[in-house]
Amino acid sequence: MIDQILALTWKDLKIFFKDRGGVALIFLQPFMFIVVMSYALGGMFEPGQDRIQLLAVNQDRGTQAATILAQLDSMEAFGVETTWEGQPLTVELAEKLVVEGKRNLALVFPPDFSDALEQDPAAAERHTTRIAAIVDPATSSQFVEPILGTLQGLIERSTYTAMVPKGLDYLFEWLAPQTPAGQREIFKAQAQEAISGGLLGGEEPVVTVERTVPAGMQVEKYPDTFQQNVPGYTIYGIFWIVSLLAGSVLQERREGTFRRLLAAPMQRAVMLTGKLLPYYLINLAQLAIMLGASHLLFGLSLGPSPAGLVAVSLAAAATATGLGVLVSALARTEAQVGGLTVLLLLTLSALGGCFVPRFIMPTWLQTIGLVTPHAWALDAYQDLLVRGYGLAQVLPKVGILAGFAALFFGIGVWRFRFDTVEG
Amino acid sequence: MSEPILIVQDLHKSFGEIKAVRGISLQVAQGELFGLLGPNGAGKTTTLSMLTGLLSPDRGRITMKGLDFRTHTHQLKARMGLVPQELALYPALSARQNLTFFGRIYGLKGRDLRRRVDEVLEMIGLTGRADDPVETYSGGMKRRVNIGAGLLHKPDILFLDEPTVGVDPQSRNAILESVEALNRAGVTVIYTTHYMEEAQRLCHRVAIVDEGQIIALDTPTALIRSLGGGLIVVGLAGEAAETVTDRLRSLPAVQGVQRRDGKLHIRARHTQEALVGLLEVANRLDLLITTLEILEPNLEAVFLHLTGRRLRE
Repeated sequence: MIDQILALTWKDLKIFFKDRGGVALIFLQPFMFIVVMSYALGGMFEPGQDRIQLLAVNQDRGTQAATILAQLDSMEAFGVETTWEGQPLTVELAEKLVVEGKRNLALVFPPDFSDALEQDPAAAERHTTRIAAIVDPATSSQFVEPILGTLQGLIERSTYTAMVPKGLDYLFEWLAPQTPAGQREIFKAQAQEAISGGLLGGEEPVVTVERTVPAGMQVEKYPDTFQQNVPGYTIYGIFWIVSLLAGSVLQERREGTFRRLLAAPMQRAVMLTGKLLPYYLINLAQLAIMLGASHLLFGLSLGPSPAGLVAVSLAAAATATGLGVLVSALARTEAQVGGLTVLLLLTLSALGGCFVPRFIMPTWLQTIGLVTPHAWALDAYQDLLVRGYGLAQVLPKVGILAGFAALFFGIGVWRFRFDTVEG
Repeated sequence: MSEPILIVQDLHKSFGEIKAVRGISLQVAQGELFGLLGPNGAGKTTTLSMLTGLLSPDRGRITMKGLDFRTHTHQLKARMGLVPQELALYPALSARQNLTFFGRIYGLKGRDLRRRVDEVLEMIGLTGRADDPVETYSGGMKRRVNIGAGLLHKPDILFLDEPTVGVDPQSRNAILESVEALNRAGVTVIYTTHYMEEAQRLCHRVAIVDEGQIIALDTPTALIRSLGGGLIVVGLAGEAAETVTDRLRSLPAVQGVQRRDGKLHIRARHTQEALVGLLEVANRLDLLITTLEILEPNLEAVFLHLTGRRLRE
């Protein structure tokens, strides 16, 4: 029995590795996705590496706009451009660049910007002004709103800093008119320094925000783009085994070798096991190569738990192979194999968060995603690779993946046709 | 011939409304080369599929080497070999790799397996191309590997399902010689075909199968002898066409006359004399001969006589 399983496994592995297209599909395709998407989205996770470039047209008569633009530019996430190819930016040029898709957003500071910030707070009429944010309408709000929010914060700080001296002048006139001018100036300077340097930021803010993690997690380093993308695209990649496995079964039926195997003294369970095993091994090789290569080439952290990594990988590969059995039982033609495979792979991968993180999806879609093995596999890998959890913490998810594998395998075996129909 | 190695009793198989096999019964002696001859769709392959465990019969019993096939399937499958009608090989693998794989499936291992693979390659004449992928072979070469894969484990019974379909005459002859050699070596062979000349050449006994039933079973010689010297198939038109049968039967050269599908099948003791007698009768009764066919005595003629149709239409 064992020898028959090994013979079947050897045979399919031999045939698989002769098929260069199949090898490329299984090993290279997901790797290409990882490389391309990781570099494409690098800025989301490592802002310093790929800053969001903002155009700025500074028409301000005063200095407040320049100060705010300098503060924006000093942030890791943003790069401010006030010139283009050596020429100062104008509104027309900024609009043109946005229309041409060279930049997504341009800020236009009006001439009276400093006037508005530095106005007398006691003045009878309030002077308001507006910064125009020229945005390509195709740009996601999720990209624009954080930029505008940051800008609003900087403006408020500058407003307080600018308005405080005038406010103090007003207070002195009202409460202590006898205070000499020199003392007023000293007091105003100290107040400004306190506000801009301490309470509202500056070189040594009184209050800072520190990023931390929940208790129990061991984070070696905060995730970069590869840490986020490698698990997702790896899981997407291993499910392509469905196409190979189902296609191989169909090919055996078409080439007649299925009949010969059925006529042999071999249990049907042995035949199925021998058919599955090579593809399971290929899946495990995929996982090892993609995670290993990503670790070596891109510095992917493999987390603190090798045992957890092995357990999740074994369960994820079993799920993919089980789905392959199910599709091979249902599909009757090559077209059906191809169609079912693409439909399942893309839908499950998308819902499971392999392409786009689930946390940015609507709640109802996140819930639906839990019906996919991809979501559980991805979460388990992130537990290990990103959150620094160990085997004990991922075991429940390994159990769920094993449940998916059993379900797919069970239905697949139940529906698998062993009879060869004759005419 | 010795005790039957295979006993088939009242085998039935339907696919929906289609009754593919309707009560086939036969016995095959050990060492016999037994033929199932019939046109496409007669039920030969379905019968073979049931005998090799690929299909379960709806009704009937199969006994092989004294054991009930239903309860000793695994054990009996190890002692039988199958050469299916379609090529059942892995084209990306070489002949040697194909044979090694199938040998392992049948329990051969190590040195025994390697030796046996070499023997079979020698037997099928492909030692020189053994390590080339099967997809690079000619049709005849592929057929030979297909046969070789069924022989690796030295089966007691070998089932061959139309092994020469689509093969050039030279390769066909080589295959037939191989089958004869196997049988001489003691292997019981069940051979299905729709080629009359193959059944005539190879088989000790032939079962003629049509529409899921055996319509005749005997040695080729006995089957052919039933036709006498030959078969004359004649179509007659005229008022006396219905009454001519008795007149023809009375002719000394005529062994028997039957009417089928509007024609007369005349089994002749002596074909030429029977033909002369037919012409005289037709002339005397003012009958017009609309069609006339003279068939030498062979299994094709036997099939035509029994069914009114040809083996290959």
